Amino acid sequence: MLGRSLLGTTVMAAALFTACAGAYAFDESKYPDLKGQWVRARVPGVTGQPGYDPTKNQGLAQNAPLKPEFQAILEANIKDQAAGGQGGDPTYACISPGMPRIMNPYGDMEIVITPDTTHILLEHIHDSRRIFTDGRAWPTGYIEAMYRGYSIGKWLDTDGDGRFDTLEVETRHFKGPRAFDAAGIPLHPDNETVVQERIHWDKNKPDTLTDEITTIDHALTRPWTVTKTYVRGHVAQPEWFEEVCAEGNNHIGIAGQNYFMSGDGRLMPAKKDQPPPDLRYFKQPQK
Amino acid sequence: MRFASLIGAAAVMAALMAASDGARAFDDAKYPDLKGQWLRARPPAGVTGQAPFDPDKSWGLAQQAPLTPEYQKILEASLADQAAGGQGSWPSAKCLAVGMPAIMGPFQPMEFIVLPEVTYVRIDHNRDTRRRIFTDGRDWPANIQPSFDGYSIGRWLDTTGNGRFDTLEAETRNFKGPRSFEPSGMALHADNQTIVKERIYLDKADPTLLHNDMTVIDHALTRPWTVEKKYRRDAAEQPFWPEYMCAESTGLIYIGADMYFLGGDGNLMPARKDQAPPDLTYFNLPKKK
Repeated sequence: MLGRSLLGTTVMAAALFTACAGAYAFDESKYPDLKGQWVRARVPGVTGQPGYDPTKNQGLAQNAPLKPEFQAILEANIKDQAAGGQGGDPTYACISPGMPRIMNPYGDMEIVITPDTTHILLEHIHDSRRIFTDGRAWPTGYIEAMYRGYSIGKWLDTDGDGRFDTLEVETRHFKGPRAFDAAGIPLHPDNETVVQERIHWDKNKPDTLTDEITTIDHALTRPWTVTKTYVRGHVAQPEWFEEVCAEGNNHIGIAGQNYFMSGDGRLMPAKKDQPPPDLRYFKQPQK
Repeated sequence: MRFASLIGAAAVMAALMAASDGARAFDDAKYPDLKGQWLRARPPAGVTGQAPFDPDKSWGLAQQAPLTPEYQKILEASLADQAAGGQGSWPSAKCLAVGMPAIMGPFQPMEFIVLPEVTYVRIDHNRDTRRRIFTDGRDWPANIQPSFDGYSIGRWLDTTGNGRFDTLEAETRNFKGPRSFEPSGMALHADNQTIVKERIYLDKADPTLLHNDMTVIDHALTRPWTVEKKYRRDAAEQPFWPEYMCAESTGLIYIGADMYFLGGDGNLMPARKDQAPPDLTYFNLPKKK
């Protein structure tokens, strides 16, 4: 009798537990707690805008493993920027930096985990990403190439504690132009880049996140691996600033040339002795 | 003895339940299934124009917007400018964020990500918009920067009492401008004191249809303006999420207050008949002989 009662109670408990487990389809305790606002970690001694390798200044100091042809492009870009141009950095025209540069990152970053997709939300120029973790294969047939690429990921429990701690990601299907940094370290125009990432959360350092990024690209002599570090802010309700690139952008691109718009709303040269744009389509005299 | 065993078993059951509850903090079965890609529902026959604010009427004057006389004139001037080759008062022409309420047209595919504390609305348009509708019970913040998308606070409701949320009630404030209701250039008030209220819910009979009953309160209007927007869920299991880069595709160039086109060869072109070229005062031009 006692055995039957115990059995009945246990069955009831099991049934309730199963019902409960069924109702909770997304077991978020299996995933790392990445809630909050992340920014790139500052590295002492590193100046200027963030480089691909965050431990070095951008540009030549990165010692990028570029092929000679692309090293020459970088040097030309730096020279152009010194003369007032934008040399190989497409973001001046409000074009997304694309991958892998998105992950430098420029704005505040939020990581939203759902079972099927991890969203990386970045307030900059169309930098937000979807990393599909639903076990899908690479899409077959035509898919539109994108600056941010197409990302497939897999969550790993590397220390066997029953909780995922690492998101392994691969990103393909790019468009360009893209650069590694604002100095204009170029990626190859064939856009056959492959970016591999290991985004790792250490439970012993819960406010630090690392992203080991390896870029495979035909502009490089070998895969280039760097580790980026992000730190979490401690504000309970952080403010998420809205950046609208076109709102404050005074660069004007005409026929492949960059000009400025002056404070009084007139076109200005961006470089010394820059000729004005070709006005062949206008019949009227200048204002 | 038997009683003690029962207590023991019950304790085990309670422990299991508690462990289960603690480990599984997010009961997504309590929320409506909004997964997938949502698009603007096909408008009724005869409705024309891009994403009109009231989706059941053509854009522009046919909307019969309850505008104050001053803002009715702004709309008429915008339409006249567009007829003459301009862009009127539609800020999107400058690749600016369209902001609320126009962003919920929507112009591009839309994704809802429902989590207990926030419902995200991702729409990749001029800006890769990610509205955050905070559902964590917070109050309106003090001293935050205004934005085109505004600041949204929401609340999930179980309107049928079946133990499952079915309606997201949201209110959005704290705007910046310029913003328009729709591409005709129907402007919201320049004071940006707009309040947008939404009730977002799945259709009871059709889970591929999402409703957004939207009310805008704005000083450009004589009364609150309520419309019923509808979104249709794409049937694709793995929909493609396009990347929309306004700056890449726009053929418009603004120099000061003047708009020009970029020709196929990249050269500047007039956007209006007999439009004068831009002022080149700041260039070292060769002196005329």
